[in-house]
Amino acid sequence: MIIMLVEKENIKKYIPQREPFIMIDSLLKADEKGFLSSFKVENDNIFIQNNILSEAAIVENIAQTCAAGFGYLSSLEVDSEPRLGFIGAITKLEVFNEVATNALIETQVQIVNTFENIHLIEGVARNATQDLIKCQMKIVLG
Amino acid sequence: MKMERSEIISVTKKFLSEEFEVDIETIEDDGNLRDTLDLDSLDYVDLVVLIEENLGFKPTAEDFKTVATFNDFYNLVEQKLMNV
Repeated sequence: MIIMLVEKENIKKYIPQREPFIMIDSLLKADEKGFLSSFKVENDNIFIQNNILSEAAIVENIAQTCAAGFGYLSSLEVDSEPRLGFIGAITKLEVFNEVATNALIETQVQIVNTFENIHLIEGVARNATQDLIKCQMKIVLG
Repeated sequence: MKMERSEIISVTKKFLSEEFEVDIETIEDDGNLRDTLDLDSLDYVDLVVLIEENLGFKPTAEDFKTVATFNDFYNLVEQKLMNV
């Protein structure tokens, strides 16, 4: 049984995005090393074309996994204000496979390094055992 | 980790020229590090990763305040490696 840190009903407390741009359902894990999220691709997702979810949506899913993870961690700090994060750069992007509607995406983010308020992360989105997209992002926390 | 200054210079030139895609000859001791490598603030996190991987220590933002030229950088590395 998977224990969710943040369920779908509460995810908006931790990310700035709103429907129809929410590309993450639940946060499964979050610590100083990284984050894990899940996302079911629904039929009415605005990034679906010919039954396939676009690569841009999966990259957004990785970014929102970071937003949820950093948001969740900052919520654990006493007297802390939620911090907004911005994508500073996306590098080393690799696209491996497409994903269709009703698929479940699990996205793992590893925090590679941190310098001041800039986090270098490596994210990989997977469907079952298939890698979908892998990339690095520089996330700047405000 | 113990390294002679000449080794620090050669290792540094190699990883910086590869990562930031500059000709190794453009990295001169008294050249400005930020200008030569065309670094923006986001590049510093890459630089930190490279320094950790190649030189074995993690610099802080405070450390970079003392670094303008490559010579300054080599001085910083020498000083840090003495304390590792």
